[in-house]
Amino acid sequence: MKFRQILWLFLPATLLLVAFIAAPSFDLFRASVFDPDFTTEHFERLINRSVYLDVMWRTIRVSLTVAVLCTLIGYPVAFFINLQPRRRQTLLLFLILIPMWMSILIRTYAWIVILGRDGLVNQMLAMLGLATEPMQMLYTSGAVLAAMVQILLPIQILTCYAAMTEIDFDLIRAARVLGARPRQALARVFLPLSLDGTLTGLVIVFMLSMGFFITPALLGGRQDTMIANLIEFQVQRLNWSFAAALGVVLLVLTVGMIVALRGAGKLLARRVLKGGL
Amino acid sequence: MSVADLSFNQVTKRFGKVVALDKFDLDVAPGEFVTFLGPSGSGKTTALNILAGFAAATEGDVRIGDRSVVNLPPEKRNVGMVFQSYSLFPHLTVFENVAFPLRLRGTRGAALTARVIAALEMVHLGDYAARMPSELSGGQRQRVAFARAVIFDPPVLLMDEPLSALDLKLREQMQLEIKRFHAQIGCTIIFVTHDQGEALTLSDRVAVMRDGQIAQVGSPQEIYDRPNSQYVAEFIGRTNLFRLNAGQGGTWTIDGLGVTMPPVRGANATNTLLSVRPEKIRPVDSDEAGQVSFDARLTQVIFQGDHVQYEAVSSGGSPLYFQDYRGPGTHLMKRGEQIRLGFDPGDAVPVARDVA
Amino acid sequence: MTYYRMALGAATVLALAIPAKAQDKTLTIAGSGGVVKEITEKVFLPAYEEATGWKTNFVAAESNIMLEVRTMLASGKMLYDAMEVSASNYPIGVKDGLLAKIDYDLLDPNGELPEKAKKEFGVVAAAYSTVLVQRLDKNPEGRKIESWADFWDVETFPGPRSLNRQPQYTLEFALLADGVATDDLYDVLGTEEGLDRAFAKLDEIKDHIPVWWTSGAQSVQLLSDGEVFYSSTYNGRVTKLQESGIPAEIVWNGGALHTSYVGIPKTAPNYEAAHDWIRIRTMRPDLEIEYVKQLPYPNFAPGLFDQMSEDMARNMPTYPENAEVQFVANDEFWAANIDHIRERFDEWLLE
Repeated sequence: MKFRQILWLFLPATLLLVAFIAAPSFDLFRASVFDPDFTTEHFERLINRSVYLDVMWRTIRVSLTVAVLCTLIGYPVAFFINLQPRRRQTLLLFLILIPMWMSILIRTYAWIVILGRDGLVNQMLAMLGLATEPMQMLYTSGAVLAAMVQILLPIQILTCYAAMTEIDFDLIRAARVLGARPRQALARVFLPLSLDGTLTGLVIVFMLSMGFFITPALLGGRQDTMIANLIEFQVQRLNWSFAAALGVVLLVLTVGMIVALRGAGKLLARRVLKGGL
Repeated sequence: MSVADLSFNQVTKRFGKVVALDKFDLDVAPGEFVTFLGPSGSGKTTALNILAGFAAATEGDVRIGDRSVVNLPPEKRNVGMVFQSYSLFPHLTVFENVAFPLRLRGTRGAALTARVIAALEMVHLGDYAARMPSELSGGQRQRVAFARAVIFDPPVLLMDEPLSALDLKLREQMQLEIKRFHAQIGCTIIFVTHDQGEALTLSDRVAVMRDGQIAQVGSPQEIYDRPNSQYVAEFIGRTNLFRLNAGQGGTWTIDGLGVTMPPVRGANATNTLLSVRPEKIRPVDSDEAGQVSFDARLTQVIFQGDHVQYEAVSSGGSPLYFQDYRGPGTHLMKRGEQIRLGFDPGDAVPVARDVA
Repeated sequence: MTYYRMALGAATVLALAIPAKAQDKTLTIAGSGGVVKEITEKVFLPAYEEATGWKTNFVAAESNIMLEVRTMLASGKMLYDAMEVSASNYPIGVKDGLLAKIDYDLLDPNGELPEKAKKEFGVVAAAYSTVLVQRLDKNPEGRKIESWADFWDVETFPGPRSLNRQPQYTLEFALLADGVATDDLYDVLGTEEGLDRAFAKLDEIKDHIPVWWTSGAQSVQLLSDGEVFYSSTYNGRVTKLQESGIPAEIVWNGGALHTSYVGIPKTAPNYEAAHDWIRIRTMRPDLEIEYVKQLPYPNFAPGLFDQMSEDMARNMPTYPENAEVQFVANDEFWAANIDHIRERFDEWLLE
């Protein structure tokens, strides 16, 4: 069949992409600069007020922290699961998947119950006589970080695990018999080969964090406001254009950071592959 | 250049109730090329894994050189290994793959580069140092794996079905190269395969494995010409197996051929079969002196160029086959032709019958 | 939680779109959920249906009703005939042209409603107060909060506090704490210096407010959970809090008295019938007393207080003793100044 004849097969996918991605993105951008006439005031406001730059920087910082924490915790967990017999692997993966069936809202509320002034942690501290006054844990950055890591961790564990199961076990045997101690085989063969999947997981977690909304809204204080919260706030205030400008900024920052993370990941990979570890 | 002898001493490996290796005994001389030959499940890979340190022996001892290795991790055993699926590190260049064992042993700088290049040149891949494994053909990958396995000069090299993933022509070519490398390097090689042709081509000695034990061990010629059992005779090459009946005066009659032959040493009618290789049977004029001969009818003629394979049924009703190597003056026979066939009793080998 | 409500709101809009066409003689009224909805359905809707023969469809669209109305206006398909308009929404509705004018000749031909009940774009449906509420059990021995100045006094009354995440009335409370008289509030707030003064006062309390509430439900939840000891909230919520056994007490002093309205969105399909509904909702003391028994949010239905006991009247935000110590929230001031003050307030929160 000629290429021109099968061109129409691309039509559904193209329409879908245009309808659900290209058109809304364009509309978002249009809304950010037409209010109702062309204006750049919303972007100027974003750039000229340090509070908004703070929120952007915080969003990136929190997202990076969450992504790195998820990786530091998720990688060893995935590694551990990968070492188990096949049937136990299935069971462990199942256990990790369970919390993902619950909505983020419910999991976030659970953290309120745990971290509140009258919550589980404070009750335990009081019972053990470790604190006379309840600790302020709710409405702090720590609460937001803990909940976001808890919510996103399964994603990183599963991504790492998927990358690890791809690794041919004979490669590890080869490394061993050629002279590598277990730790060396891990660092020189297993780690580099699982690096790409791990970085993918890190980027996914980062991306999801950048748009996180409910968790900082419910568990954070005003100092934990992220871009998505700002957008919601502005929508509530009926400031469509400013909200749209924030949306454009969130989109650009997220895409930019993903490109940067990928680049950094490649550099890191090159170093690791050169036997740098 | 280093080389070492090695030995398995009453090595047993059990997986639960399954006995994968059963009191396995073998001594390998320094520099010897020994092949473990057998079908899957015969214990050949288990023996190799125990030697490499990937599996622990349940009982028994394994020695390389003068030390017992059963308690050593793989990296301390100093053996090279080539894997069935090559197992090149996909994230490393050809150069770094080959350099891998040297780096772990602390070799650096110019010495490292020189040795890696030399190893790559030995396998004719001097120009491929910067390539990634994914950019190489199967044969090239196998040569890199070989270079990587021998670059640190191990006294023992293990090869686990290294050619099974290659096509026939490449496999034959690589067999010759491996023979050449062995002559060049001189280390002891343990080679695992299920391909009997490969085993015969490469080995100094072949250990034919069966059910976790060695069925027979010997030079390729011994294994082929003097199989000690029906199992070995059938596994190595093709053969005709005839039942024997006790005749008068201590002679034997061959079942189905209706011929009598002189008694065979160490054989009796109940547990012995007579193995005659197809190439040992040929058409004879009448009763040629010293030949056992009988009448037969050709049922199939398979022309193979340099030789012809004939299938026939003896007048006594026994199917058999034989080969003709088309020497000067021979002519092609036709299906259905009545002929007289014969063989030299000295070429007939009594083999122990398998207990079914 | 706001997220939740927005989703609910969107779902409501979708659900409404279908039956709206089938029934012509149905009045669609948007209002809050919860207790307000219960009482409305029990008291006012049956009275309306009986009086007019129309059917009613009450939609609890609490989340951001102005957002919904704006969306419907833009889409050219207005689904609501009448709606509750909160004190803070009224100025937005006026300013952004989301509300239709009330025809008082149609509504009240005999002029029974007092002037203060009649706004250009809405009729007072309820009066309520934003008041300071304290957890008595969290107070230091023998002390009680009596003013916004006490709320600001973190030495005498330590503990976490909460305020509304809106500049409206929060800024007034700050000025009251700073010693401004109730009568001068909006004069002071109307100047740049006065605004600076309010924000400077808020700076003092900022670190003692772990969470800024975004809904009345959240403010009482925070008090109920003990996450905060003191908070501003709506007076009607406090009864429920007390009934659940929480020792909470209202400080009427310095409260903001608001009036909320019932109005008609622009392009409402049944403009005239909506007036019948407004009459039932705002001018019937016999119905209103049932409402007030459940929720202490009285309106100006003529003769309402005659139907009440002294005890009950005392719990009304409009009870003279209570009204005296409160200030009247100035919706017009906020309508005129909301944009720049809110922008400043939002940015101040992020600092």
